[in-house]
Amino acid sequence: MRIRKRWLFSLLAILPVLAIFTYVRIIPIGEILRLSLHKWDILSRNKPFIGFANFIELTRDRLFHEALINTAIIAFGVLIITVPLGIALAALIHHRVKSRFSSFYETSVFIPHVVSLVPAAMAWKWIFDARLGPLNAFLSMFGVQPQAWLFDPVLSIICIIVLCSWQALGYAVLIYLVGFKTLPESLYEAARLDGATGLQSFWFLSVPMLKPISLYVSVVTLVSAFNVYAQVYVLASDAQGAPGRQVRVMVLDMLENSFRNYRVGYAASEAVVLLLIVLILTYVQFSLLRDRRTK
Amino acid sequence: MNRLANGLSAFSLLGRTALLASVFGTSLLAATSVSAQEIRVWSGYPEMAAFYEHVAEGMKDEYPDLKVSVEAIALREHEKRVALGITSGESAEVIELATTIAARYLEGGLLNTPPADVQDFVKDPANYTEFFANAASYDGTVFGVPLFRGQSALYYNTDMFAAAGLAEPPKTMADFDAYAEKLAQRDASGVPTVSGWSMRLSGGGSGIAEKFAINMWQHGDELLKPAGDGKWVSNFASDAGVATLKQYLHNLFETKVVTVEMPADADAFERGQTAMFIRESWVIGDIAAKAPDLKYATATLPRGSIVSTGQLYVKASGDKETAAWAFIKATQEPENLVWLLDNVGWLPNRTGDYSSVVATKPGFDAYVNLPAEYAFFTVPAIGPIDEIQTRSAAFLVEAYAKPELAGDDAAIKAFLETIDTEINSILEREGLLGQ
Repeated sequence: MRIRKRWLFSLLAILPVLAIFTYVRIIPIGEILRLSLHKWDILSRNKPFIGFANFIELTRDRLFHEALINTAIIAFGVLIITVPLGIALAALIHHRVKSRFSSFYETSVFIPHVVSLVPAAMAWKWIFDARLGPLNAFLSMFGVQPQAWLFDPVLSIICIIVLCSWQALGYAVLIYLVGFKTLPESLYEAARLDGATGLQSFWFLSVPMLKPISLYVSVVTLVSAFNVYAQVYVLASDAQGAPGRQVRVMVLDMLENSFRNYRVGYAASEAVVLLLIVLILTYVQFSLLRDRRTK
Repeated sequence: MNRLANGLSAFSLLGRTALLASVFGTSLLAATSVSAQEIRVWSGYPEMAAFYEHVAEGMKDEYPDLKVSVEAIALREHEKRVALGITSGESAEVIELATTIAARYLEGGLLNTPPADVQDFVKDPANYTEFFANAASYDGTVFGVPLFRGQSALYYNTDMFAAAGLAEPPKTMADFDAYAEKLAQRDASGVPTVSGWSMRLSGGGSGIAEKFAINMWQHGDELLKPAGDGKWVSNFASDAGVATLKQYLHNLFETKVVTVEMPADADAFERGQTAMFIRESWVIGDIAAKAPDLKYATATLPRGSIVSTGQLYVKASGDKETAAWAFIKATQEPENLVWLLDNVGWLPNRTGDYSSVVATKPGFDAYVNLPAEYAFFTVPAIGPIDEIQTRSAAFLVEAYAKPELAGDDAAIKAFLETIDTEINSILEREGLLGQ
């Protein structure tokens, strides 16, 4: 009887959260799945069921392929930069935790994450500017020819990776710092007594023990990088053609199909593909990084 | 096409219909009563905000309780908010839309039908030529009120032309290449610092394809060819298409008079970073505001120009609808349209006397005093036109980054055929592909 009451109480306690989660997450996902199977023109009254026709069209859509490839390159680029750099920076900051500058270090790394995206991207647009940007001015001191950072098909993607990593890094460092603070000091002292250097302690103690944190950081970083849009939009948007090449990413393609081409059903099929990719990658990350002892 | 050319020539018939137009405008405005209301106006051109505010200000005596809130933002964002706003019932009451974009909403019956007096006003040939009345209609019914149009002309920096020994603007497309080569300024290492001819080469959206279409028209053809029964065929790989892309690549990679990363368009022209470029009439107002000391002139294009029209539509009911139509009628008052041309620079579509503005701003000359054989074209008002332009723009940007295509006609044609395949597949999907 008592257990039943507990169950009932737990259920009632969790019910509001479940209801909100269902309303804001589960139902929209279900709706996207439904839309993806329809020729759902935002302005048309007739929205017929067309089965997998949208998905078949995706296989032939070169702009979608371009968006998919660009997004994947950006997402993995951001992941490859953010996770190792995040853990390394967090280790350095943690190592200097007793310094009176420690909070300064933490704040300066975290600031890019809280700065509004649009002004930040505008500032980066100026940095990357081919003619007036400080990056080219700096490189010219070493005899490097000015580069068209925002126009070259490869460089423009690198610029977006740099911008996204700069923003994601603060969050990664913060989470890693929390992780570092939970690690037992005694292990490090024992390692020191055994003659381990700082680098060895980091590599053989910190990195393995922070695996769950690395899993969380990598999942969050990858998922948010797959949803890249605003950075791309700001770096290339202008009323008069310049100042940059429009790097096509998945969210941009979806927005164009939804609100410029009015093909919401087709955009929904792109969203389903994006969802599947993110789910698969998250599963892979969990499989690779999950702490076996928790099984 | 002739009808369009004839229609536009009416613009230069100064004063002939001015009196009639004023009478119509005033009587229409007086015919409606508007109680205390607030209406919103959505525009896709930030520079148009001043015009709508001017119109609202002028209505205050007659409608002291009418509050008009103007929300003018960049075109692409405007199109998105219209799509969301109209379908969710949260749109503004007065919406400015191009014919090509409005077609989708009119197909779905999503915009109001005007009252009879507005329909009669638009259909009256004393107010609008048949071309503009048709642009505001769908399936034979008037839905919008024509307001302004985009029409292109060449802008050239007269100081730079004089310095290069050029006495007059280019007359042929071959002239454009030769002039651009003479006009480009370079640094010691040969890198262009001032482009000889600013071409639309980057950015997002359909503008890249539209600018390509304007140049292609000078070479004798259009992006989409009519195939009868309301059907169309993509025409990029035509001789004119090949000549156009070849010209872009020639200027980019052979003579290198322009580069993709150089400042472009009106901004660059106003800062003296390009010697010439092709644009609509709003640039005249923009130069007056931002670079009043710039020495420049305008000229007609070798063959003709694109014309894209903007109309005002209503999405409202009850008192708000009445207020919205009253506002739209007020925009058509001759004095407001003269103000529009003089202060904003967009060409009004209503027939009237605009001589006072043309006299003080000779830049408008290339928009109103046209050669007899000057030919106009407009993009087809079909549902997927924006998607077609956006998709072809993505291809063109790719081509502008391929120096290996320059001078290779066969490779250019093959590349353009891939665009045709893509565009024809969109037309086929929409049931619009002809033979």
